[in-house]
Amino acid sequence: MNLTLYKKEWKANWILLAIFMAVLTMYATMIIAMFDPKMGDSLQEMAASMPEVFAAFGMADVGQTLLEFTTGYLYGILLTAFPAVYIIILSNRLVARYVDNGSMVYLLAAPDKRGKIVGTQMIFLVTSLLLMLVYVSGVILATAHLLFPGEMDIPGFLRVNAGLFGLWIMVGGVCFLSSCVFNESKMAVGISSAFVVYSLLVQMISQVGEKFEGLKYATPMTLYAVDGLIAKDGQAWLTCAIMYGVGILCFAAGIAVFRKKNLPI
Amino acid sequence: MKTIEIEHITKDYGQHRGVFDLSFDVRKGEVLGFLGPNGAGKTTTIRQLLGFIKPDQGKVNILGKDCFEQADEIKKSLGYLPGEIAFIDSMSGMEFIRFVAKMKKMKDLGRAQELMEQFELNANGKLKKMSKGMKQKIGIVCAFMQDPDILILDEPTSGLDPLMQNRFVELILSEKRRGKTILMSSHIFEEVERTCDRAVIIRGGELVAVDTMESLCSGKQKRMEITFADTAMAAGYVSGFAKAVQDEQDGRRVTMKVGRDIDEAVKKAGAFTVVDLNVHTQSLEDFFLHFYGGDQS
Repeated sequence: MNLTLYKKEWKANWILLAIFMAVLTMYATMIIAMFDPKMGDSLQEMAASMPEVFAAFGMADVGQTLLEFTTGYLYGILLTAFPAVYIIILSNRLVARYVDNGSMVYLLAAPDKRGKIVGTQMIFLVTSLLLMLVYVSGVILATAHLLFPGEMDIPGFLRVNAGLFGLWIMVGGVCFLSSCVFNESKMAVGISSAFVVYSLLVQMISQVGEKFEGLKYATPMTLYAVDGLIAKDGQAWLTCAIMYGVGILCFAAGIAVFRKKNLPI
Repeated sequence: MKTIEIEHITKDYGQHRGVFDLSFDVRKGEVLGFLGPNGAGKTTTIRQLLGFIKPDQGKVNILGKDCFEQADEIKKSLGYLPGEIAFIDSMSGMEFIRFVAKMKKMKDLGRAQELMEQFELNANGKLKKMSKGMKQKIGIVCAFMQDPDILILDEPTSGLDPLMQNRFVELILSEKRRGKTILMSSHIFEEVERTCDRAVIIRGGELVAVDTMESLCSGKQKRMEITFADTAMAAGYVSGFAKAVQDEQDGRRVTMKVGRDIDEAVKKAGAFTVVDLNVHTQSLEDFFLHFYGGDQS
């Protein structure tokens, strides 16, 4: 890893990360505050009034425990879609944008292999996602502990987060690969956005009704089986491992492509 | 000894763009001018030297190392000034210089300070707001500050005013005295003439000429105008020196184009009474135009 570059990326991108963390903090605390174990679920009443909308966002049949409530409302769409947007923006900034505007010349002025430079960018993406995960799950746990002490199934919560990170790694890998392949920011962002929008949209449609249920096999988001992870289901662990695997493969492919490609800089 | 070796490289972008079977080399301690019109393939060649693109065929070596596979090792002793400079716009000039210095694993910025003083550069502003000339100076500082043995400079003085172009020529001459090996592409013939030992001329991606500056310039033609005391002398001169043409309006005046035969032209004139003599030197640019323009001359 090139430490100079790694530090530079922190300096350049901490605001972006802070904005996403702030948005997620707002949603996380708001939703947990809505949990009410005694009075009945106000969100569930709302869900009953517009079932399709809630179903699309994966919020149908949200369970009664605090963990089920949290994962039902937060992990269905908010904690996948928002970080995906962060990943699209950041992965473009880390590789394709340098190539597009030509400043990659100065990153490659270092007496380092290309693999080391682009590997540093990957490490930055992964560590910033890890920080986001630790922060967001910390906020959720702290809010839950403050408002409803003792209600949260912490081991179950950690399993769900292990899966969430797998999902982020998978999306991160695909977007990073796109950033390494394309020499134009436009293309890098376009392809990663297309991947994310497609995946989320198909997931949402597949959740609306039985008619489209089969579509869940057409989106990688299905690999993230929240309920299965809560229930310690073997298949959920397997699909979780697949997400990590796909992510790691894509990162490796991105680095390999970047090492060998012709750079128009 | 050859520091940079380019052997039969071809990089074909289609529609006859790119470089084709190009070979030349840069010897240790020399300044080589790299000339050619826009789109001749200068930047394509330089990108291959930097290891940014791989030739389809042929080999490029610097210090005996492959430019693509061992680019990291070559960069320890290489300074590069890109033709189209792009910085990280969110930084200030000084931040950027420090960043590049750290990327290059440099310990001190002494040389960078000297260069900034030499080019009267105040690098404190944001890069985004800097003029072309300011950015060019920052590019120069970044290329030279590491005090590398080899320099590859792509149109180094573009955007600089004449005073700064002059400073740049002085910088190249002093680096040359210190034994640096320099490859420099340029459109400004004066700076090539003043700094380079040899020049390579390419057009349409192919080598046109490679020779010392002296012999490249030796083909230079001068237009000479001699006015004699009377028409008879002029006619006498023309009969002895066939290249000369007697002027139709002023019969005493003769004009001719001379190159290596200047000695003959002058000595023959000595037999008569010369009242005036004018010599128009063809500029290096005019001279190179016949390489550039191909059949026109």
